[in-house]
Amino acid sequence: MKEYTTVGKSVRKLDALEKATGTATFSTDFSLPGMLYGKVLRSPYPHARIIKIDTTEAEKLPGVKAVATYQNTPRELFNTSATMTFTVPSLEPVLDQYIFDNVVRYVGDEVAAVAATSERIAEEALKLIKVEYEELPAVFDPLEAMKPEAPDIQGPCREGKNIPGETVKIPVGDVAKGFAESDIIIEKQFKLPIQKQAQLETQAAVAQVGVDGKITVWSTTQTPHPTRMILSKIFGVPHSKIRVLNPPYVGGGFGVRIGLSAKAEPIAVALSILAKKPVKIVYSREEDFIASDTRHGGYVTVKLGAKSDGTFHALDLRAVLDAGAYCSFSCETPGVLGAMGLSVYRIPNEYYYGHSVYTNKTPAGAMRGFGNPQAMFPIESVVDMMAEKLNMDPLELRMKNIMKVGDPWCLPYPCQSTGLAECIEKGAKSIGWERRGKLNKPGAKKLRGIGVGVGTHCSNAWPFCVDYDNAIITVQQDGSIHLASGVPDIGTGTSTTLPQFAAEVLGARLEDVNITFADTQSTPFDIGSHASRTCYAAGTAVVAAATDARKQILEYAGNLFEVPPENLDIKDSEIYIINQNLGEDCKGSGVCQIGEGKKTMTLKELAYHAHLRNKQFIGVGRIVPGNAPPWHAHFAEVEVDTETGQVKVIKVAAAHDVGKAINPVIVEGQIEGGVLMGVGYAVSEEIRYDDKGRQIHSSLHKYFLPTIEDTPEIDAILVESNEPSGPFGAKGVGETGLVPTAGAIANAVYDATGVRFYEIPLTEERVYKALKQNGY
Amino acid sequence: MSNTILSFTLNGEFTEVQVSPSDMLVDVLRDKLHLTGTKKGCGKGECGACTVIMNGEAVNSCMVPAMKAEGSKVETIEGIGSPDKLHPLQVSFMDNGAIQCGFCTPGMIMSAKALIDKKAEPSKEEIQEALSGNICRCTGYVKIEKAVSDAAKQIRENL
Amino acid sequence: MLLDYLFPETTEQALSILKEKQGQARVIAGGTDLLLDMKEGKKEAAVLVDITRIPGLKEIKVDNGMVQIGAAVTHNQAAKSELVREKALALAQAARTVGSLQIRNSATVVGNVVNAQPAADTAVALTAFDAVAEVLSPGKKEYLPLEELYTDRAGKSALDSASQLVTRIQFPALLKNQGSAFERLEQRKALALPMLNAAVVVSLSGESFEWVRIAMAPVGTKPVRATEAEALLAGAKVTPEIIEEAAKTAIAQANPRNSLLRGSREYRLEVLPVLIRRALESAVREARNNF
Repeated sequence: MKEYTTVGKSVRKLDALEKATGTATFSTDFSLPGMLYGKVLRSPYPHARIIKIDTTEAEKLPGVKAVATYQNTPRELFNTSATMTFTVPSLEPVLDQYIFDNVVRYVGDEVAAVAATSERIAEEALKLIKVEYEELPAVFDPLEAMKPEAPDIQGPCREGKNIPGETVKIPVGDVAKGFAESDIIIEKQFKLPIQKQAQLETQAAVAQVGVDGKITVWSTTQTPHPTRMILSKIFGVPHSKIRVLNPPYVGGGFGVRIGLSAKAEPIAVALSILAKKPVKIVYSREEDFIASDTRHGGYVTVKLGAKSDGTFHALDLRAVLDAGAYCSFSCETPGVLGAMGLSVYRIPNEYYYGHSVYTNKTPAGAMRGFGNPQAMFPIESVVDMMAEKLNMDPLELRMKNIMKVGDPWCLPYPCQSTGLAECIEKGAKSIGWERRGKLNKPGAKKLRGIGVGVGTHCSNAWPFCVDYDNAIITVQQDGSIHLASGVPDIGTGTSTTLPQFAAEVLGARLEDVNITFADTQSTPFDIGSHASRTCYAAGTAVVAAATDARKQILEYAGNLFEVPPENLDIKDSEIYIINQNLGEDCKGSGVCQIGEGKKTMTLKELAYHAHLRNKQFIGVGRIVPGNAPPWHAHFAEVEVDTETGQVKVIKVAAAHDVGKAINPVIVEGQIEGGVLMGVGYAVSEEIRYDDKGRQIHSSLHKYFLPTIEDTPEIDAILVESNEPSGPFGAKGVGETGLVPTAGAIANAVYDATGVRFYEIPLTEERVYKALKQNGY
Repeated sequence: MSNTILSFTLNGEFTEVQVSPSDMLVDVLRDKLHLTGTKKGCGKGECGACTVIMNGEAVNSCMVPAMKAEGSKVETIEGIGSPDKLHPLQVSFMDNGAIQCGFCTPGMIMSAKALIDKKAEPSKEEIQEALSGNICRCTGYVKIEKAVSDAAKQIRENL
Repeated sequence: MLLDYLFPETTEQALSILKEKQGQARVIAGGTDLLLDMKEGKKEAAVLVDITRIPGLKEIKVDNGMVQIGAAVTHNQAAKSELVREKALALAQAARTVGSLQIRNSATVVGNVVNAQPAADTAVALTAFDAVAEVLSPGKKEYLPLEELYTDRAGKSALDSASQLVTRIQFPALLKNQGSAFERLEQRKALALPMLNAAVVVSLSGESFEWVRIAMAPVGTKPVRATEAEALLAGAKVTPEIIEEAAKTAIAQANPRNSLLRGSREYRLEVLPVLIRRALESAVREARNNF
């Protein structure tokens, strides 16, 4: 394999210095002269109509500069998610949100907002707004909300009671026949919890509306370009008069701000228009919990049929997801759940049916994994049950059935690479699979167990959503490289990995490459940071732009050197003649003389040479990415305290086929962080609601995401299958870390206790009760 | 609101700033002294992003009334190193890939510094205890723990 | 609205400020709970009287066989103190479990008691140590059993922080053949309040329990002593069976609430004996090592 200069190297992240010294700017750090502070009044009811709203007292409070309600803000419908407002036909956009409405549909829904000279004054003013509500009936469970007697949350829906958009159906082969031909069939329903992204920086935006009507928004969005399109629709201002950018750093995302940062951007803009001053909105942590998207909870049913030799023959997968009060990503998420759930194993007969259902809860949207963890905890549990029924080792059963290169599947792009078998082998070795079944002494109260889960994912959203990328590379007059890409860096390392691609293709030194990102004004359209796509898809655009620039450089240099461009190479920002003896073919160019002396010309010299002759090298990359499946196998070892029900995760060995690790340390970091989020999903993280529709787990103190003291040993293992469609062989890795984790952990708990769980997280009380019911 | 002058040593320099008795230290640092390296992730002591060192101990600056800083020594991320002379923890965080989104990083580094200022050779358990109040949602803490342990080693070897 | 923040230099000065402000002033120590409560409008004060710089209040010492914990002693001080670990291990263990290190560096042990949350970990440990508080009120100094600092409403202290001041809490240091232990059930290892906690102090005499004190929470409006279980153990031979029986007996005096966040009443009642049993076993081991 070719040895690269920067690709494949764990170079220090280019943003690390700013972040380690506290000088990196985030939205919450950003301020402008004369800036006001916005605060939002939120609904105390899960479902109510606003009969009357009186803001006069609030407006009189000194320091208050504007009060916004549904009465003085645009009545333009939108969807906060990056994709749905402008979805691809034949799908119809589900637009169900205003900035403010006269009906509130969950506890935390926006009622009004105030801009004032300080946060404290804005908070005081909120208390002076008088609202009369007429309470409406509310429903909190998706199965309940589908019943005819349930209240309509968003009016009549075409596909069924409270079902947003369209149901997703994926047929493969003949599933009825498939089950008829199966020797063993297992069918189980699973209940999934609501998880929260809990990124460290809460939703935030600063909006400035100029006297010329131009709007600038600095915010925490993961997708500046689509966010600009949504703001343009809401405020009726052309795209070209709106600028959306990150400041440039974002304190994590995990999907929570694919599109708008909840409603931080439109509320800040609306207040800024009213107050004629810049307005900053920073969500409190509680607001971030109750009023910004969560992962979808819901119900998933798996029916798996196999032949007696263990060959999977039919799979029926069904999902009913909890959308919450507004659609957000509730049409796409069930699609990904089904598409990924059907694509791990080679099964000739499959059927998927899934949709979301509105309830009077915080909207569910995108969260790392995007439906896939909801598919794989159930599927991997049932696969383990099947192994037991067949009396087969769970690894052997998986090895027998996993997808291979070229196998047919339901996805509209081919499976061109898989390292899943290698992942399974390496993960099994790391965890010590052979110890399984020999971990416990008779009579022990704390029981150990080992379990496995596998899965796949995508490397971007094509062809399910609009998904394309552009990149521009400009060689500066001093030979340094400027790269412009519209993707943000929400912590995943984009602003390092993309320059690595550019440097590799151009032969430039990495320190000569500078990147501008996450700014609609200085970068061409890019859909943004979601769907594990920035390295794979934005990377493909950067490689294309760099290839284009390289071609121009070498053509110019070839002319100058009087050698064909293919006889030139660039390394360490210097141009070399290759494949021929120096001095043979370059008479008259002047380069021979250079060649005789130092044998190279630097990019700096060449760029300036070109500049003096009125030329600049500008590479453009405009691509629609392919797509590719990353693969992964997680192995978990757990200890279950049978007297209290506590599950302690001891170790997770996470083997991932990442195609090619462009920056291995960054890739490991993605996996390790994903794994821990998956551990939380499996054992402790959930948002439940009380009977009045209020979140019980609405703060970091009440929402049990893992601290460092809860962290198991994590062994991130990289497997490289070299994906043909990816830049330098790379595939997506941002989301995969938590796709199979809960399945592996639940299977390990079964191995330890013999008790199967159909609901996560495996909290103390849930596990304790199940153990008691099973004779412990 | 009655304002008063708070005097304290901030990153080694005598500092005076006008505060209200109800101000919290984090807001004085960020809004009045413009030291935005100290982050605010919850305002309730639940995430550790605002961790600073006060008289040698790591504290949540969102839980400390600014007045408690009177006469004290406060260190923030801005005070522990500069690009030409970085603190070994800063170098170690960068080199170990312990930084992703970076929002927890200043608080993490301050918690870690309070630990290794006192313990030259911290155990795994001591590192975990020192960072137990610092939530990171990106890294799974693996590389952060290693970065702290490496930095401590680095400091020991250079003494 | 908060108008002033003062650092008295003596307890007398603190009391006189409180008196002068006639209910408008309030004592603050670590402040980790108070400031949040004030921000949320649950508590009010125009003046805060910070007692953490009063000489002596940051001290942990043994005097006359009594362990004394000053009102400005933080959780981390208590958790790390060699003296506390040697003379009152359960208190060190309890202090270590609270919040995070940052919280433990600010929040005080006495504040944990005065805040009157029934499940406050150090308060549960101190209850098992049969601690008393030194309380200064206008014109008098009293020594009140911890139990008397609580009211029948969880979170509502019997003390008036606008006129009274706890200067220290004290309890008898453990002697030979005595041991203590603290157990906690929690939803994660840091930044979590307990679902349940229990502290136990045992005194052994040969192969038997001389006496035992068991405190448990949150099973009432204050840390609750399992006196029936204690009586069962007093004088009994140390056996796994009697420990098990005592642990089960303790439930009779436990009245946990149903909490959507921290566990149902039913679950907590079933698991409480496990914690008490484990604490008793650890405390016995501790006592046997302490000869």
